[in-house]
Amino acid sequence: MDTQIFTEISLSEILVELLLMPVIAFLVGLVMVLWMRKIGARVQRRIGPPLFQPLYDVVKLFGKKTQVSHGVVHDIGIVMAMGGYIAAETLLPVPGMNGIAVYGGIITLTYLMMIPSLGLALGVGQCANPNGSIGISRALTAMLAYDIPFVIIVFGVAFHHETTNLVEIITQQQQAGIASWGAVQNPLLALAGLATLQGMLGKQPFEIYIAPAEIATGPMVEMSGKYLGGLFVMQAFQLYTAAVLYVSLFLGGGESWFELLAKSFVVVSIPMMIAFVFPRYRTEDLVRLFWKWPVMIGLLGVAFVG
Amino acid sequence: MKEIKVENRREGNILSRVFDELNEFCRARSLFILHYCTGCGAIELPPVMTSRFDMERLGVQPMVTPRQADILLITGYVSIKTLKRVMLTYEQMGSPKYVIGICSCTVNGGMYWQSYATAKKLDEYMPVDLYIAGCMPRPEAIISGLRSLIRNIELGESNNWKKYYENYDYYLGNQQKLFGDEWQTPVDVIGEAEHYGLVGEGTYGEHTEILQRVQQPLKPLEMRL
Ligand code: SF4
Repeated sequence: MDTQIFTEISLSEILVELLLMPVIAFLVGLVMVLWMRKIGARVQRRIGPPLFQPLYDVVKLFGKKTQVSHGVVHDIGIVMAMGGYIAAETLLPVPGMNGIAVYGGIITLTYLMMIPSLGLALGVGQCANPNGSIGISRALTAMLAYDIPFVIIVFGVAFHHETTNLVEIITQQQQAGIASWGAVQNPLLALAGLATLQGMLGKQPFEIYIAPAEIATGPMVEMSGKYLGGLFVMQAFQLYTAAVLYVSLFLGGGESWFELLAKSFVVVSIPMMIAFVFPRYRTEDLVRLFWKWPVMIGLLGVAFVG
Repeated sequence: MKEIKVENRREGNILSRVFDELNEFCRARSLFILHYCTGCGAIELPPVMTSRFDMERLGVQPMVTPRQADILLITGYVSIKTLKRVMLTYEQMGSPKYVIGICSCTVNGGMYWQSYATAKKLDEYMPVDLYIAGCMPRPEAIISGLRSLIRNIELGESNNWKKYYENYDYYLGNQQKLFGDEWQTPVDVIGEAEHYGLVGEGTYGEHTEILQRVQQPLKPLEMRL
């Protein structure tokens, strides 16, 4: 294994990366939200929102004159929901900024990606709204459902590349060309990964915990103003993280920003295309489905990892 | 009811003015609707949202709880029982908030003006920003109404939500007339007005005195399995 990826990193570089990576992730995430809403609109034969709509939404929500807080834990929960992803962004290797990611690794990243859901659970708990509690319990159950295949996939990929270092995984794929991409080498894992992605982004048919008409958007039910704004920001981060992680694991990452973004946008389009032609599964069906098919495909994929 | 002068937006230093402008600009372009479908007028909303008229291109999208919404859309006649729920909903919304009354029934009771069980004029109970009259208005009318609300917000002319705080006594009085003197909501409107500096001449009065006399403190819900 070549150890050249562990280069020296200076303090100023660390600071620049800490600041720049979340900002880039946020901006790209906003474009992804727009992209997602545009696809949804086109599938439904509508025109869809204008170009800067996600930005307008966030600015408006943070600029509301009255803000309703339900207590300290409510505030902390939202900060955790955003903070978990902000921390995760710095560990996601992107072209030109690998300094911190080299020392992180995929296991740490997996842990960080669970923090937002837990933070949300805390915050929603204090709102004491029954719809919110139902929503968050469904959301955590869904997390349990898709995290099992997710861990299997991560394990399989790490086994294939014989490392848990994301930078190393990407470098290996880039050096050997398309034939060595995760999607070509381990198509089964990539397939299970797509299903997991759908669950992770909470898109139909796995969006029972949001269910606007039944439990009034579940976890978001009591969120107003800056709290909802925080969740919008979180959604932008979430799209970016999930897409870039998938690209890193299976599509060879990106040697340039253009390549990375092009691949990521293709990846986020897939769940959206699927989402709008499906109704939703009930929670128990969701768990059953996730623990059956993606887990089976994933385990089969692990068995064939060479 | 006394006229209330619209607050002059162009105050403060340059930075805060730029920020206010940006805020106003974004607020006009991102409106979350809570549609309280009370009457028959609601039937015209699905075409407004879906592919024929698509209100998302104006930045307007449906939301499902009062906390998240900016616009409260009342679509038709409001019975007295419904009005209580409408008031609860309205008070929970975060300001700045806007109320749109769709249908003639919200303007003056429409064909229910003789009914004993219908609240006739919506703006006696909450400040209404825009009426879209008609029995029932077509989707085109709703879209053009939304457009004029957007224009008003951008020009800073839609500040009716402040009236509710500044004239709370008037609105509360009308509510008490319908619901009786025991009427109270979980939202402490006077407290909010004081907190956000929105106390006006009409905030306190004889009706708020009644409220303060009968008001029961909110108790946490009992936890039961
Ligand atoms: S104005 Fe006409 S359509 Fe609208 S609620 Fe009244 S009766 Fe129904």
